[in-house]
Amino acid sequence: MAGEQLALTVLMGVFLVGVVALLSRMEDLRTYTPLGSGSAGYGDETSHGHKPAGLIRWLTTVDHKDIGILYGVYATIAFVWGGMSVMLMRLELTTPAMDVLAGLGGNAFYNGLLTSHGITMLFLFGTPIIAAFANYFVPLLIGADDMAFPRINAIAFWLLPPAALLIWGGFFLAPLTGGAVEAAQTSWTMYTPLSAEQANAGVDLMLLGLHLSGVSATMGAINFVATIFTERSGKVNWANLDIFSWTILTQSALILFAFPLLGSALIMLLLDRNFATTFFAVEGGSPILWQHLFWFFGHPEVYILVLPPMGLVSWILPKFSGRKLFGYKFVIYSTLAIGVLSFGVWAHHMFSTGINPRIRASFMAVSLAIAIPSAVKTFNWITTMWNGKIRLTAPMLFCIGFVANFVIGGITGVFLAAIPIDLVLHDTYYVVGHFHWIVMGMIAFAGFGAIYYWFPLVTGKMYQKTLAKWHFWLSEIGVSITFFAFLLLGYLGMPRRYATYEFSGAIAPLTQITTLHQVATVGAFIILFGQIIWVWNMAQSYIEGPVVQDGDPWDLKETGQHSREFQWFEEELTADEDSLALTDGGESDDEIRADGGEVEAAVRRVDDE
Amino acid sequence: MSHADEEEDGGHHLPAVEDWPRGFGEASWWPFVTAIGAAGIYLGAAMYVLSTGDSALVPLSYGLGTAVASIGLFLVGLYGWTYHAFIKAYWTSESTGVGLRMGMLAFLGSEIATFGAGFIYYFFVRADAWTDLPHLVESGNIFSSLVIVNTVILIISSVTLHYAHVALRDDDRRRFVGLLGLTLLLGVVFLGGQALEYYEFIAVEGFTIAEGAYGSAFYGLTGLHGLHVSLGAVLLGIVFVRSLFGQYTPEKHTSVTTVSMYWHFVDVVWIFLVVVLYVGAIISV
Repeated sequence: MAGEQLALTVLMGVFLVGVVALLSRMEDLRTYTPLGSGSAGYGDETSHGHKPAGLIRWLTTVDHKDIGILYGVYATIAFVWGGMSVMLMRLELTTPAMDVLAGLGGNAFYNGLLTSHGITMLFLFGTPIIAAFANYFVPLLIGADDMAFPRINAIAFWLLPPAALLIWGGFFLAPLTGGAVEAAQTSWTMYTPLSAEQANAGVDLMLLGLHLSGVSATMGAINFVATIFTERSGKVNWANLDIFSWTILTQSALILFAFPLLGSALIMLLLDRNFATTFFAVEGGSPILWQHLFWFFGHPEVYILVLPPMGLVSWILPKFSGRKLFGYKFVIYSTLAIGVLSFGVWAHHMFSTGINPRIRASFMAVSLAIAIPSAVKTFNWITTMWNGKIRLTAPMLFCIGFVANFVIGGITGVFLAAIPIDLVLHDTYYVVGHFHWIVMGMIAFAGFGAIYYWFPLVTGKMYQKTLAKWHFWLSEIGVSITFFAFLLLGYLGMPRRYATYEFSGAIAPLTQITTLHQVATVGAFIILFGQIIWVWNMAQSYIEGPVVQDGDPWDLKETGQHSREFQWFEEELTADEDSLALTDGGESDDEIRADGGEVEAAVRRVDDE
Repeated sequence: MSHADEEEDGGHHLPAVEDWPRGFGEASWWPFVTAIGAAGIYLGAAMYVLSTGDSALVPLSYGLGTAVASIGLFLVGLYGWTYHAFIKAYWTSESTGVGLRMGMLAFLGSEIATFGAGFIYYFFVRADAWTDLPHLVESGNIFSSLVIVNTVILIISSVTLHYAHVALRDDDRRRFVGLLGLTLLLGVVFLGGQALEYYEFIAVEGFTIAEGAYGSAFYGLTGLHGLHVSLGAVLLGIVFVRSLFGQYTPEKHTSVTTVSMYWHFVDVVWIFLVVVLYVGAIISV
């Protein structure tokens, strides 16, 4: 046994060294310079090529654009991890009995995957992918040199990889310790007393990792608040601050109150587990206290994850509708309203726990009220497209898919907010279906839309448009198949979280349930196929895609929507050309000035929004 | 390698222009070092957990060693970061500090949530599971003269810090440094008082963190607050040392402001804590 472990450890060591060697040899890492890397922003040409080469550049960077890319890569890796774990679960669920995963650890392994999938997708994919866009683009959009605290920004990112290792730690340690430490099996909600009483140290590792990721998110939020308040350029005021930065500001405010509270709750749970405290014990704060604290964090967390994607769509959708965003002000007001209301709805996750019915009713009222600002947004997106000159590019397709999926995901949520319906559907696949329409159908879709929209700006290359459309349609069809099946499974009474479903026909019709599970698995594979195309498209286009020469790759000038980040991009391109064509003399200078004038006009028009 | 002197155009500057090991323009090792140190503390805690239980997977010393080494690394990183970011170019920097004040405000907002979770637990217990109380609460001895003295000390320290700041703005340097030093001293005395109270309760009275519902709240909240006062004392210490080295003027005093904000916040939390956790525990309604 000891010999095996030693061999495995050595093997892991060799593997890690290999990865480092490979990374440091990769030519792309060495030569990659996002356009204007090292530039301090508008019109500053002093600073190209002052970054160290290779891996060191990425370990030491404090440039918001580089850190944005790091967040993006990190989130993608987490997305793959979370996706792989759910594919294993979907395979297992094609049959009622435990068979596919039986050899890998059976129900316990399924529970570990379930926990890991939820935690990974929400904390290690969702929050970081938003941070990726926010880091790269908020400073560009508000005309700042960088974030308010560039070094804190870097620290916040570098806390995340260790956090992921701790969160996933149980999976790594299980083979090394002969199963003495397993992956945490608490589900992402970590409800007590289950999470307080499971002896498995994998739970402690996960709690520590989550706390670390929460510290990172809070540092990021403080940074964004300070950046948006104090680093705006003179031309950007609250009335013309772009919609994406507004949602990031709101999200950061939510993070400030939500994540530290979760952090304290996690510490309390750790103390309960290791130091015999009574925070969530029956004789102390009671297990229900965990649910209160967790959902006081957890429901704002939903909006922490969904408001910035809404901002992305509000930003990108008008660009391909040829019209400015309809009701800009009201989209902002609805964002703020959702932000405030989000702290007053947490107990709708606890309707079936037997809490005071009068409290329950008030939480139902506030939860239903959130439908109003949500609908304001939806109708504003629809009216933005109405009579517009719609161009069905990949980013636009993802935006439209986002709106469509939100209609289903949102309205199923309205039903769940009603106490009588919730009591029937609580803890069934209906709930799982509802929030997957949101997290996959909206958050991930907005992320993909934004990635395609800004791909030329970040990489200087263009992606393959046909593959991008395949990606969209496979994702949309896969999402619809999988998550409609979930809603139906919920109506039939299939409880969530179970690895097997060999129950009696008196509980639910087993045949239909099996069929729907199989349908959902097929849908999941369609989604998987779409994502493989996406990864391929990104990697291949980044390496050998056509170089973007045009500072306006989306023809936004025609409609006066050539916004700040693409103006910056254009200036970077002209700056590069300028330095190449320096010997040509004065002519290029005039050209630039003429160009600059046009850009200015466009700014004003965009700012009028 | 530095570009500090290249910045003429209206305050546009690169972050981290002068740094160690050498100026990278837009790069610095310090954030990475600091983050690895911070993460190492968590790793140490994780190894500590693995060393407990029936079948220890690693010896206790591994976890403690990792934690101590990581705290060291973290502090080194913190030093390098803050030194190069704020102290080295103190006199040449043109920062108004408005971002830092905003950042401190946001941080204190997040602190409300950090403390909030613990207080919510206590309110749950106070309203519901208020039985099986430790004898210190039954007898009312939890609210001792030590607590009153400590509270007065902390309140005075807030006052002295405020007048230190006023003195700085009036350009009365001697008074500023003196009052700042006094504040730091009072903070340290407060921490000593807390340590004494813990010693009395744990060693003499046998009242520990595992002593039922109230014990969890008591040590959870006073411990969290004590950590905050310790951090505050460290911050005051840094400001004090910087003031001894002649930094701060009536116009340039951002870190005095931010540290004051933090210290007053911690003070207010303490007053709230005394009212609900000490006095609130022995008052019956």
